[in-house]
Amino acid sequence: MLSILLWIPLIGAIAIALWPNFQSGRQVKQFSLVVSVLALVWTAVIGSQFDIAIAGSQFQETIPWLDSLGLRYQVGIDGLSFPLVALNSLLTCIAIYSTDDDLERPRFYYSLMLLLNFGVVGAFLAENMLLFFLFFEIELIPLYLLIGIWGGARRGYAATKFLIYTAVSGIAILGSFLGLVWLSGADSFVYQPDLAHSLSLTQQVVLLGGLLLGFGIKIPLVPLHTWLPDAHVEASTPVSVLLAGVLLKLGTYGLLRFGVGLFPEAWAVLAPWLASWAVVSVLYGAFTAIAQTDMKKMVAFSSVGHMGFILLAAAAATPLSLVAVELQMVSHGLISALLFLLVGVVYKKTGTRDLTILRGLLNPERGLPVIGSLMVLGVMASAGIPGMVGFISEFLVFRASFTAFPVQTLLCMVGTGLTAVYFLLLVNQAFFGRLTTRADGKVVTLPPVAWSDRYPGILLALLVVLFGLQPSWITGWTEASITQLAKTAATPVAVLAPNAAAAVLGQSSIPS
Amino acid sequence: MPNTPQLKSKHPYAEYIERIQQGKTLLPDTPENVLEVVGVLKSYGVVMDAYYKNLIYIAEGQFLELFPFFKYFDGKVTIAKLMRHLWHDRINFEYAEYCMKVMQWHGGGGLDEYLESETFRKCAQKAIDAKTRGNFFIRGLNKAFPEFLLEQVRQSVYYSVLGQFWDVMCEIFLTLSDLYDQGKITTIPQIVEHVKAGLVRAASKPIVYAVEIGGQRYNIIPKSAKLTFLADAAIPYVETIFFRGTPFLGTVSYNAQAQQIPFDQGRFAYGALYADPLPIGGAGIPPTLLMQDMRHYIPDYLHQVYQQTIRKEDDLLIKLCESFQKSMFCVTNATIVGLMPHPIDTRDPKEQKINLVYLQGWMDRLRSSQLESVQIGSAS
Amino acid sequence: MNDILVQTSWWVPCYGLLGALLTLPWSMGLVKRSGPRPAAYFNILMTVASLIHGTLVFRATWHQEPVQLVFHWLKVADFDLTFLVEISSTTTGVMELVTSLSFVAQIFALGYMEKDFALARFFGLMGFFEAAMSGLAISNSLFLSYALLEMLTLSTYLLVGFWYAQPLVVTAARDAFLTKRVGDILLLMGVVTLSVLAGSLNFPDLYDWAETATLTPLVATLLGLALIAGPSGKCAQFPFHLWLDEAMEGPNPASILRNSVVVSSGAYFLIKLQPILNLSPVALTTLIVIGSITAIGESLVAIAQIDIKRALSHSTSAYLGLVFIAVGMQWTNVAFLLLFTHAIAKALIFMSVGGLIITTNTQDLTEYGGLWSRMPATTSSFVVGASALVGLFPLGCFWAFERGLDIYWYDQPLLAAIVLTVNLLTAINLTRIFRLVFLGASQPKTRRAPEVPWPMAVPMVSMIIVTLLSPLMMMRLSLLPNLASLNRSAAAALVLSGIIGCSIGATLSLNRSMARPIQKQLRVLQDILAYDFYIDRLYRVTVVFVVASLSKITAWIDRYIVDGLVNAIGLASVLSGESLKYSASGQSQFYMLTILIGVGILGLLFTWTLC
Repeated sequence: MLSILLWIPLIGAIAIALWPNFQSGRQVKQFSLVVSVLALVWTAVIGSQFDIAIAGSQFQETIPWLDSLGLRYQVGIDGLSFPLVALNSLLTCIAIYSTDDDLERPRFYYSLMLLLNFGVVGAFLAENMLLFFLFFEIELIPLYLLIGIWGGARRGYAATKFLIYTAVSGIAILGSFLGLVWLSGADSFVYQPDLAHSLSLTQQVVLLGGLLLGFGIKIPLVPLHTWLPDAHVEASTPVSVLLAGVLLKLGTYGLLRFGVGLFPEAWAVLAPWLASWAVVSVLYGAFTAIAQTDMKKMVAFSSVGHMGFILLAAAAATPLSLVAVELQMVSHGLISALLFLLVGVVYKKTGTRDLTILRGLLNPERGLPVIGSLMVLGVMASAGIPGMVGFISEFLVFRASFTAFPVQTLLCMVGTGLTAVYFLLLVNQAFFGRLTTRADGKVVTLPPVAWSDRYPGILLALLVVLFGLQPSWITGWTEASITQLAKTAATPVAVLAPNAAAAVLGQSSIPS
Repeated sequence: MPNTPQLKSKHPYAEYIERIQQGKTLLPDTPENVLEVVGVLKSYGVVMDAYYKNLIYIAEGQFLELFPFFKYFDGKVTIAKLMRHLWHDRINFEYAEYCMKVMQWHGGGGLDEYLESETFRKCAQKAIDAKTRGNFFIRGLNKAFPEFLLEQVRQSVYYSVLGQFWDVMCEIFLTLSDLYDQGKITTIPQIVEHVKAGLVRAASKPIVYAVEIGGQRYNIIPKSAKLTFLADAAIPYVETIFFRGTPFLGTVSYNAQAQQIPFDQGRFAYGALYADPLPIGGAGIPPTLLMQDMRHYIPDYLHQVYQQTIRKEDDLLIKLCESFQKSMFCVTNATIVGLMPHPIDTRDPKEQKINLVYLQGWMDRLRSSQLESVQIGSAS
Repeated sequence: MNDILVQTSWWVPCYGLLGALLTLPWSMGLVKRSGPRPAAYFNILMTVASLIHGTLVFRATWHQEPVQLVFHWLKVADFDLTFLVEISSTTTGVMELVTSLSFVAQIFALGYMEKDFALARFFGLMGFFEAAMSGLAISNSLFLSYALLEMLTLSTYLLVGFWYAQPLVVTAARDAFLTKRVGDILLLMGVVTLSVLAGSLNFPDLYDWAETATLTPLVATLLGLALIAGPSGKCAQFPFHLWLDEAMEGPNPASILRNSVVVSSGAYFLIKLQPILNLSPVALTTLIVIGSITAIGESLVAIAQIDIKRALSHSTSAYLGLVFIAVGMQWTNVAFLLLFTHAIAKALIFMSVGGLIITTNTQDLTEYGGLWSRMPATTSSFVVGASALVGLFPLGCFWAFERGLDIYWYDQPLLAAIVLTVNLLTAINLTRIFRLVFLGASQPKTRRAPEVPWPMAVPMVSMIIVTLLSPLMMMRLSLLPNLASLNRSAAAALVLSGIIGCSIGATLSLNRSMARPIQKQLRVLQDILAYDFYIDRLYRVTVVFVVASLSKITAWIDRYIVDGLVNAIGLASVLSGESLKYSASGQSQFYMLTILIGVGILGLLFTWTLC
């Protein structure tokens, strides 16, 4: 059942690559759109069968593969991964839908898109560390090519930088996994929460350090982030949407699943440092964003800042903070995807993203009024204005982290305030004032905005508001699994939660 | 005409002066411009027809009504009309009132002087007395605030005067369109000539205004006031609507400390010839109402031209405004030529000199107008 | 019946929201062929619905115990977020005030904005505005109130930014948002802290907690200061007051609401917070201090303004300063009374100002003159509004001031002096404005000034009536003190201060031309006040400078150190830096790809040998 979620994009990708009968790029697009919608529908089917009361993994499937290697095809889904899988399916549909019709080499492009979907879903579903690693690596190749072939002027540089960074990230993660299995003497790479129990604290910290480096690059955390702005700026809009919306979440998902899940003791030791690291990321991202003049780069740095909130809440590792992590992941996925989509439309229509040039795009006749209004909504959501999902997710992050790290939390809240600063600069510069789209001030008539340019943005905006009003529709999926994960990680808050010790004792009885 | 030797000017806009001296026009004479100008004037004519009838109706039928709920209904209130009114599926008469208010606020001309005269006060007082007979509250209020109703009557006068002016203009524009349809008008100079001829024909038409209260007529502008079409309606209209206008809240700050608006109304340059077409359709730009009204009456040939542009229907209001500005330069051109102190082709150097000074005066005022931008390109 | 009414009372704010949603087809440009006025009508209709519903609820709650409605919103892990809504005659009364003022402002806007084709967006925002404020009135949960205050911040931004193409609007909207946002973030810090400390965010629980809580003085102080930062931003109090001046760039009907109920909603929230603020004496003192600074400072600044809207908006800050003092002194009744009377009077004055602007096309006080005889409704609105504002017996603010003075008279003579001074300065300012606008000879811009049409005149006249009747209303609500127990000397001092103020204002030499005082000192003083003590420059060299420099520094570090280091060392060793930086040569890409795949295989092999 769950494997179908993997088969759909994989078969789709192969079919696009091999089936000779496509007449035009449009047809390929339509076909891949159908495939991605199928995957989305199947996600919904799984969702309808998903039991939110079960904390552990569901729909598990196991097929022996290279047993001598400890590698098994072992997949399952739980409350931690389901919202992210759903987000991935949705954003893949949106990314394919909003791809240009007259794209060059469409077959290659769309099969890569589906392959990317395959890789990401695989990584979220994998219950074997080596399998996770394989999917994690698989997803890099299509993304690398998508940036490197269909990107902007400096795509080669950006793609290569991305590749090197993530290769390092892969090595670090693999190293940690290998080290863990080797040191713990386990006979396979099957994910078991108590794997690291027998390890000394030093060993744990070192292994966790590897994971932090690996996933820290992916998230990305300052100062491991420099690949991201370049990748975003050079990537085409749909790729940016996926990159910001889902791929960064692999990093935080990894931290949660493998960092908190496997090394709770080491996590507790490092937590204060991680929280401080989160502060650095948040403030650094925000301040750098203020100085940007390229809209896309600004949104990219804003991503760096907002992903920092996730680290903060993850560091606290209380049940509430981990729910907040999940909510913030989905919320950031939706909001940043929305912002990248809108910036993409602006770029497509005006040919520039330069905030020193663009003015007055709200002009109802010759500007992009609907896109502009959605942009206002998007930046407000990102700045944490109530009524939208960014508010409640950030509020939960702060509320939950405050118990463990009050000072760091307060500093991160300054970051929220700064979000308003740079995004308001963006909106006021580019959308208010008299319409201008060229450096020489000459008035050119922009091409019209079709409704098909607006639908994806409107859909995401609706979701942002919907989940803002009803956040329990996300948290409900995830709560049971998170609570269990938090029990594993209960040590850092033992001081504040009196029953934490009991939880720690209880964890050995959790079936592996 | 073309080969008459003329005085040269050193004015920055000498090129335009020369054009007028040679009998050419401010707006370049191209087939596209002719089509745009005639087309937009046709739709303007249709809209103006509704405007002027309503202005006259309000001036006469809603005289000193404090609650003119149905002032836009021209006296015919039906359910169907009310529904359409509520759905805002109607002509935006607010724009006509806006023009009227701008004209009144800037004042100028013989009309303005008349409204300050004793004659007017007497005439108006009679009408006020007749209208407020038995209404002690309003009478008392008018006692306490003595200029209250008088000022309202002045406003009614402007309703009527603008109505009478547009009546004439509307006919000029609609006949222009008919002549174009018949193939009798093919160039911009012909358009200018047509408008000029229409203005000259109506020049000495008297402006009068009377209201009927209780079956009796009360003259408010009697014939004896000797107000005429050209001097007391057309010229103040061109001055106030084409040139001065009022600052749009959507583009200019009213903040006194920012001092964006000149103290001297004579230095106002917010009129139809100056307004930037780009913000049309946005918030705080009153001419949007006019463009919105005109969009319903665009002749097919012009609509087709608009359809061939990049944004098609999306930026119709801006395109209409751009065409409208072109047509207003034709009207201005006709006014300039019509008011020339001496014939254009005069050979008398003294008269030529006076003409030149006259033209330079106009060009000074057009310096910051959209004249340059209507030179290039048609609807984009 | 009553029960149903009360149970559904939370619909009242929703009507406004629904009205805002109904405007979308027009404001999004879906309906292009016909005009946007139906959107306005829908909105007004929704406001009428909330008005009727609100009135019924108000009658149902009269002399009844407050009812608490509980809504469970979000329950995750050990955290249960509930919204508490209090339905009592007070809260529904405040809600009624909001919806009625919103109603008159919207009718007024029908006239004021009649030639604006973006009417739908304007009314949508007004609906949103109204929804947030009436929600705030009945909210009994700190979290919900915070969320609604943020929505107010957003709608203020959008309403001030309504004429988005006007250059000063661009900066005004930005400053309004950011100033309020600074306050809001500090407030959010307080909210999060309280949530952790008290375990609940509903006001009744918080009050219980506050009574027994033992906090270290430092925590209590910081908490208190964080909590008052939000209302300070909302109420345009020093040092967060500049935005209100700039917000006057927005449309006047929105200014009516902004100067009456929007700023008051911040103060209303502050009154709600008051029992928690009692934890921190420092916070209470701070309230009194910033209230006093704002009250006196802004009253002076108002006198130096030449823009009519700004001359009045600064006085709004001043009055809210008095409210802050009252809350700081823990006299919430005085605060309430002052808010109520000020809101009505200010709304009326701002309507009058709207009438003036629309007829004369100017906001410059030096360009007005001689309007009284032509504009009865506008003139009377100003006169009645101004009288109610300066504590003229027996109109609105007199009672609020009197109540305050009565309390401060013996124990806090300094505060009593502040109240009297504000009254005096306001009287000077309003008399000055009245003389400049309505008296004297006509000026070019005011010589043709017919009275405004009925959609603007009717709201003015109705508000005149409401203002004149407000003492009676207050009497019926038993808000007024017994005449016999009136503190005679306080009342006399109050009346006297008003009279002195009016006489100074009446005798002040007014130069309509921009002539400036001849003495240099006076000129400097005038400038200092006219430019609001140059606070904006202070901002520029402090907060703005710090943020801008930090952002430049981090951007520089990012570009030349973090990224530069990566480019220079990390990558140069793998490839020649040049080719990587500037070329997209396929070779290097495939080289990298090989590395990646190599890593994968190597890893697998390594594992193989391991097992």
